Amino acid sequence: MAYHRVMELLLVEDELEIQDFLKASLADAGYEVDVAGDGKTAESLASAKVYDALIVDLGLPDQDGIDLILRLRHLGVSSPVLILSARRSIDDRVRGLEQGGDDYLTKPFALAELLARLRNLLRRNVAATASPTFLRVVDLELDLLKRRASRGGELLNLSPQEFVLLEYLCRHAGRVVTRSMLLAEVWGMRIQPDTNVVDVHIYRLRGKVDTEGREPLIKTLRGVGYVLKER
Amino acid sequence: MSSKSDNTRLRSGAWRISLWATLAFAFGTSLVFAGLHRFVANDIQRRSDAWLSGEIEVLGDVAERTPKDRLYDRVVSEVAELASKEVPNKSRSEGNENDSVFFLQAEKSGPPRLWVGAGNGQANLDAIRASKVVPDVPFHLRVKGFDIPFRVVSVRIDDGSFIYLGLSERDELRVLRNLRLRFLSLGVLIVLFGFAIVFYATRRMLGHVREITEAASRIGQSDLSSRVPTTQYNDEVGNLARTLNRMLDRIESSVHQLHTITDSLAHDLRSPLTAIRGKLEISLSTGIRSEQAEPMIVSAIDELDRLTEFLNTSLDVAEAKADALRLSRSEIDLDELIRVMIDLYEPCMSERCLRIELRSAGAAKVFADAALLHRAVSNLLDNELKHLPASCTILIQLHVEEEVATLILEDDGPGFTEETGREMFEQRVKGRDSSGHGLGLAFVEAVVRAHGGVVTASNRPEGGARLVVTLPCAFERHDEQVQPLDMLAG
Repeated sequence: MAYHRVMELLLVEDELEIQDFLKASLADAGYEVDVAGDGKTAESLASAKVYDALIVDLGLPDQDGIDLILRLRHLGVSSPVLILSARRSIDDRVRGLEQGGDDYLTKPFALAELLARLRNLLRRNVAATASPTFLRVVDLELDLLKRRASRGGELLNLSPQEFVLLEYLCRHAGRVVTRSMLLAEVWGMRIQPDTNVVDVHIYRLRGKVDTEGREPLIKTLRGVGYVLKER
Repeated sequence: MSSKSDNTRLRSGAWRISLWATLAFAFGTSLVFAGLHRFVANDIQRRSDAWLSGEIEVLGDVAERTPKDRLYDRVVSEVAELASKEVPNKSRSEGNENDSVFFLQAEKSGPPRLWVGAGNGQANLDAIRASKVVPDVPFHLRVKGFDIPFRVVSVRIDDGSFIYLGLSERDELRVLRNLRLRFLSLGVLIVLFGFAIVFYATRRMLGHVREITEAASRIGQSDLSSRVPTTQYNDEVGNLARTLNRMLDRIESSVHQLHTITDSLAHDLRSPLTAIRGKLEISLSTGIRSEQAEPMIVSAIDELDRLTEFLNTSLDVAEAKADALRLSRSEIDLDELIRVMIDLYEPCMSERCLRIELRSAGAAKVFADAALLHRAVSNLLDNELKHLPASCTILIQLHVEEEVATLILEDDGPGFTEETGREMFEQRVKGRDSSGHGLGLAFVEAVVRAHGGVVTASNRPEGGARLVVTLPCAFERHDEQVQPLDMLAG
């Protein structure tokens, strides 16, 4: 990360169980978390302090989460919002995104996915940094203009699709990327195939990137996704 | 009619309607008759009055001109006698020579000067003197000793005496009585006939209603699959029956749907939940090292993910089948979509020694919900991946014809078994060696149907399965919906 300030989050969730484990794992991930159990508390907290991001559950006891987000936006709170919901219909997704929420996650979700999306949001928020033309992770180098990748100076023979995949992993180096993130970002699909299509792509890519005798860079986290080693 | 109580219940309805209808009918007929009766009575009276006026004029003339001598009485009575024979509607009472007409000449007071008619005329004269008389205007006269009143006209002659000519109303009354009698018998006949027709018709109609009621109560109690009887007529009762049946179709399919969902939920949730629970319990138990516990926990999480996915798809399919899917449509090029999908699936396919081939006739734009369509297409490919044995080929063809995009998936695998073929798009149907939840094709079918398309599954004659998906192309529909989509995007 470009700077070392501790990120501050506001978690708006009424169910204690979820509140507890989210708070614990967010704190574990290095965030400072304030918790609100209902919309009113959330409103007063959010107007008193500028948070880096909000995590808002839609089913609040005193009001609809979407109404809360709308009101906060109206009050000038511009922090990105990660919406959590047990509702699953597309209509709600659209509504949520349309009304200022920046990402949407349906329950149940993988904790790693939540963290990954949160990082995404925060990064988006920090700065629309000038996109680099060159990426480097350990001895893996990607030339984004020439669309060429090399490892230890040795050119890798990647298909265009594989290059895009590797680029996405490099951009998120050190962070977990889930399968659905890959499907959405690399292939532009919001699908959940019940076959291992993504794994096979990663497997192939790994065969080219992590060749014999080299330090393996692409790591699989079972049940969650993948992570490209940072150092 | 099955029982006596049914009989009475049915009758009461039919009876009531028939009685009311008959009453109204009888009332109407009576009104018509009353009008007719009045008209006939007036007409007869008008004719009698015309005759009376004519005759009295003649008689007055004769009485005036005849010299008042001995012969006067004879002349006048003969003329009166003659006139009485020309009575209109002539029908005399038997026996009595002439009681239908009388002629009377009298002074203001005293006995009658001249009398022609039955009896001595005194009673008639008394009656005339008792009533107010306007000359030249016919009037009603009731005479003591006579049952039937007379119609009388009077004229005053030069010598100061009055001449009265009376005509019995017997004939008039007889005609009217005949009329009434005939009308009454005919009226009763007509009303009875009408009653019979109304009763028959209502009974028939109510019979249908009763059949519908019986069937409906039977259905309500137990058998949701039976239907109420329909008639071929396009009347209210026929419509009622057809509407009820359509409603029952929907209810039955919803109930069936509910059963399927609960069944599949019970089945598909219980075993994985048991497995998850077991794995977590083992990983908790003492004497297990963390390296041993970890894979169990990981696989429990995997299992939970699959469950979540299953739950979501189940609900999607259920919603789609209930036509409750909310579509946020945009223009999608099927050709492009298929190419990306093949790109995504190809490594996985070749891993399993499956070949995939695309023959596309170019862009095929449809107006569809992107997320749903993506999932439908990926389900089709997942399905092939799961069911095809190694070294098979999948051929995907895409073309547009008459504003319909047709996507054909063919393979040279074992094809659909008879049982899967029959219930292909039902929930929970799995191929013999399937590992999935069998929701894939049901979801595809539901999504395609929601978009106004059709999915058909068959086996190719040369072996292998063939799935054909048709979707209406995006043309005019695109324009009218651009606005809301733009708003959503913004």
